[in-house]
Amino acid sequence: MSYQNKRVVEVAELLKKRLGGLNDKADILKAVELKALFDELKTLPAEQKANFGKEINQLRAELQRMVDAASEQAEALPPIDVTAPMDVNSSQPELLPSENGSIHPLMGEKEIILDIFYRMGFTASESRELDDEWHMFTSLNFPEGHPARDEYDTFITTDGLIAPAHTSTMQSRVLQKYKSNLENGEPIACVIPDRVFRNEDLDARHEHTFYQIEGVYVGEGVHAGMLIATLKAFLQEYFGKDLEVRTQPFYFPFTEPSFEFALSCPFCDKKGCNICSHTGWIELLGCGMIHPNVLKMAGIDPEKYTGFAWGCGLDRLVMMKYGIEDVRQFHSANLSFLRHFA
Amino acid sequence: MKVSVNWIRQLVDFELLPVDELVAKIGAQLGELESVEDLGEKYQGIIVAKVAECEKHPNADKLSLCKIDDGGRAQNVERDENGLVQVVCGAPNVRKDLLVAWLPPGSTVPSSLGSDPFVLEARDLRGKTSNGMLASAKELAISDNHEGILEIDKDAKPGDDFAELYKLNDYVIDIENKMFTHRPDCFGALGVAREIAGILGRKFKSPDWYLLDQVDIPPTAEQTLPLEVENEIPKLVPRFMATPMANVEIKPSPVWLQVALAKLGQKPINNVVDLTNFYMLLTSQPTHAYDYDKLRGHKLAARLAKKGEKVKLLNGKTYELTEDDIVITDGEGPVGLAGIMGGSDSEVDENTKNIVVECANFDMYCVRRSSMRHGVFTDALTRFNKGQSPLQNRVVLAKLVEDLGELSGAKVAGHTADEHGELSSPEPITISADFINDRLGLKLNPEEISKLLENVEFDAHPEDGDNICALAPFWRMDIEEPEDIVEEVGRLYGYDKLPLELPTRTIKPASKNKLLENKAKIRSELAKAGANEVLTYSFVHGELLDKVGQDKNNAFQLSNALSPDLQYYRLSLLPSLLEKVHSNIKAGYDEFALFEIGKAHVVDEPDPFESDIPKEVNALSFVYAAKKSGRGAAYYVARKYLANLLHNFQAASLAKLEPLAGTDLYKNPWLEQMTASFEPGRSAVLHDISKGADTSGLIWGVVGEFKTSVRRALKLPESCAGFELDPLLFMRAGRASDYIELPKYPKVEQDMSLKVASDVSYQNLAELLEASLEKIKPEHTLATLEPLSIYQKQQSDKFKQIAFRLNIASYEKTMVASEVNKLLDELALAVNKKFGASRV
Repeated sequence: MSYQNKRVVEVAELLKKRLGGLNDKADILKAVELKALFDELKTLPAEQKANFGKEINQLRAELQRMVDAASEQAEALPPIDVTAPMDVNSSQPELLPSENGSIHPLMGEKEIILDIFYRMGFTASESRELDDEWHMFTSLNFPEGHPARDEYDTFITTDGLIAPAHTSTMQSRVLQKYKSNLENGEPIACVIPDRVFRNEDLDARHEHTFYQIEGVYVGEGVHAGMLIATLKAFLQEYFGKDLEVRTQPFYFPFTEPSFEFALSCPFCDKKGCNICSHTGWIELLGCGMIHPNVLKMAGIDPEKYTGFAWGCGLDRLVMMKYGIEDVRQFHSANLSFLRHFA
Repeated sequence: MKVSVNWIRQLVDFELLPVDELVAKIGAQLGELESVEDLGEKYQGIIVAKVAECEKHPNADKLSLCKIDDGGRAQNVERDENGLVQVVCGAPNVRKDLLVAWLPPGSTVPSSLGSDPFVLEARDLRGKTSNGMLASAKELAISDNHEGILEIDKDAKPGDDFAELYKLNDYVIDIENKMFTHRPDCFGALGVAREIAGILGRKFKSPDWYLLDQVDIPPTAEQTLPLEVENEIPKLVPRFMATPMANVEIKPSPVWLQVALAKLGQKPINNVVDLTNFYMLLTSQPTHAYDYDKLRGHKLAARLAKKGEKVKLLNGKTYELTEDDIVITDGEGPVGLAGIMGGSDSEVDENTKNIVVECANFDMYCVRRSSMRHGVFTDALTRFNKGQSPLQNRVVLAKLVEDLGELSGAKVAGHTADEHGELSSPEPITISADFINDRLGLKLNPEEISKLLENVEFDAHPEDGDNICALAPFWRMDIEEPEDIVEEVGRLYGYDKLPLELPTRTIKPASKNKLLENKAKIRSELAKAGANEVLTYSFVHGELLDKVGQDKNNAFQLSNALSPDLQYYRLSLLPSLLEKVHSNIKAGYDEFALFEIGKAHVVDEPDPFESDIPKEVNALSFVYAAKKSGRGAAYYVARKYLANLLHNFQAASLAKLEPLAGTDLYKNPWLEQMTASFEPGRSAVLHDISKGADTSGLIWGVVGEFKTSVRRALKLPESCAGFELDPLLFMRAGRASDYIELPKYPKVEQDMSLKVASDVSYQNLAELLEASLEKIKPEHTLATLEPLSIYQKQQSDKFKQIAFRLNIASYEKTMVASEVNKLLDELALAVNKKFGASRV
């Protein structure tokens, strides 16, 4: 650090020299010379005040940093032989008892779900945590100016990148990656379980960070009845029982037709319970037939191939299944919560 | 979106289903229902009565004592010799022969329902019995008017049912708005009625006035009210129509109109405003009436606001506009925020003589942004931001003008302006029945398909082959592609009737995702080893980055986070874990290990496959913490976890630990940031050695303890260590085991303690011993060395002792002690030569 003002240069030199000899380095900040500089500041004419003030503040900050560094060094633990398997004069390190261990309930459930889709013939892909507008919106047939592109509920970085609000941000990539399946007479079948984000205030029911499982299936002769049948087959396997399913017309830019998909409450068998708010039904996911523009943008001929896609929230599924009352538990890293899910 | 079942009933020309069945059908095929309200229940027992006698109350100046004729309808009520019922009434407008709404004893005041239901009874009012009450519009929950009692303005006779008279024996169904995001036409009763007819398989016909092709608003001979209309931005205001009308009489609306609005939650205001709202609720097209005489310069224009311009709206608040807001202006300045709310300076009030009726169309995204920007949400906006069809403006305006004439006496007093850009009509779409059936799994023929579409007023007919030609009606803005017709047919046919059929597949196995599989294995291995998986946010507070010594300039920054806790994308996962250590110790956990698998981001590192977007670094992060230090430095526990993981992935031979102090991080920003919190003298990096024993450039991660400043800032216990690494390392590992055939002959064990200078690293010594052992061991034997202990009396001592155990067994014979001793002597000699170690 170099200073312009002669007085500051003088004092800086003096104090830095003195610092080496001090036992308690912090004493340097109480030096009378430093205080004198601050007193001088008050006597200066206004036009000189700004520069002088800035320099002495910089000096004080520099000294503070030197004090911190010195104390860091003084209090640092001594070096050890990091290539050894154990410390000197110590027994061998041990792992913690196995019964303490746990897998996060969201991740555990993700693996259960993934396993079902693997058995159904789907492969899987990860999503991204930082993506561009093309994948998030354009490739999904969101028109220019569509409100979803506004930053009201989507996190955006100062560089204009996006924290994906849905795993559909991977749809075009997955379609392109597995396009060759179609030429070989095989379908594209892929699920994408991952973390997504929405710019929301936290409360017991709302999280800005949550998880979705996206599904994409494209082939020849794929129709909406197959979409419903596939999701029903998955849910019956997941809950281990026969279920009824219900679709309501909905709207997404990237599917046509689009549906909101509900299942008969597996916890009360439609008798009505707290989980289904006594309606007998649980609204679970949005889905639909992939919009021809989405297929086209991924280089797939929508005349020849059709397909479906869905996006299912994981958090709510886990909350329902385990009776978790507050969504904030998931990211609390609270051992009292986590150790219930060995 | 609230709809009245009675209104729907009036609009369709067939017998509607009973309400419970209708509700079920709507729920299944139209959209989720928020609520169903039974208005009949609310207005139960209210009787139309005639005031037969009306005198001043003998004991109160402001009260009247009335005798009413209810046609003898009410039961259990005290009557005089003429069968009349006595009611005390405080309203100034009560008078003989007036037809009123009477709430007899036992009935409930409708406006009190929902809060604190008030049940009427016969009670004494200043010495006279009042049997129930004569109700005001406010008590009937129709409007805010409480100045007098409601005067029945329809032909009725005493004893008639009030609810029936004004069609209040009705149900109001509230359908979730989100179901209709792309259906602007369904934000009015007309659209919903048409849709209901469609899903019931019945043909709908819109009222004639709505279908008139080129309707003309009655021109006027005299241009008594000159009006200049200008549309500066036809791209954002596709259509702007306005008609001046003279000699309007502003008064309360007839009761039927007030009731129609009140049912759907609209507050009646006056006849002109109420009628504009009525047509919005019917057609979903919002309109607005201005006081002509308040429009400066008798001009109305649509343009973008100027920066800093202000407008005072009908809600009484003033808004500072931006250049992205569409405004309606008069000759001098803004008189309304387009598509959202009119201005208070041009409001129609009881003194208004002349009006201008506006029927316009605005860019849906633009008005939505304006409303979000200013925080103003109105029923008009809810409709405009779905994108209304500009093709319905003329018919709606014509009908509104006609009805305004009837209701307020206003006459068209000038030319109707119609400023618009190019108005495009729906184009016919030719589509084959196969195309539709293939996508829905159905077997409908062209006739059936055409009929479904015609039911909702498409112009549809079968054509050659199995084609259908379908032309969407002018109010449908959402039909552009063949797939839109598929949606239409599927919805009207009923998605619940689609045949469920699973796709078929071959028995070819689906490939699992290797990275996900690896992460799952890491999870289960670490959990088995007693660690707890956590999930923490991908975003961190800038202060956390400071605390761990990372450089915020390397982190992506969120521009719109609601909380400062979410300012930056994290540069590595470990700081988030360290942040969670203290709270768990405080919660009473004395020793634990946390881990997380996630992603880290550093600016200026492009993705290797998509260079436009940043690289996402896969990261596994782990931290061990103990309140009391037990078995030596925490570093060795973290290292043990890491070694255990490498072993379980068969990856121990791929990487090697080297001291972090002095390691070249190649200015790799991810490595620099990731290692920033680690204490160099007590940390090691994981170097890739898969391409040979020499450490190559690749560093997979770091393991170690944390700097004093980090420990202090995050209140970490002294015994705390962790690691962070790229789990792609494990993808490199072969699945082959390091198993070697085991000798059948017994194993011989022999310990050896070596005294060596304290600055000789364990690894250097052990590697030399292992290499030597491999060289000098007898043929056909299997030999291993394992560390037993390291002993150093004082930190300052120049020497330490390291004890090893040699395990050896032969495949051919039983080994004897002399052979083993000889081996140990040779090993000792080798390390003596290189490191001056001596056997003790």
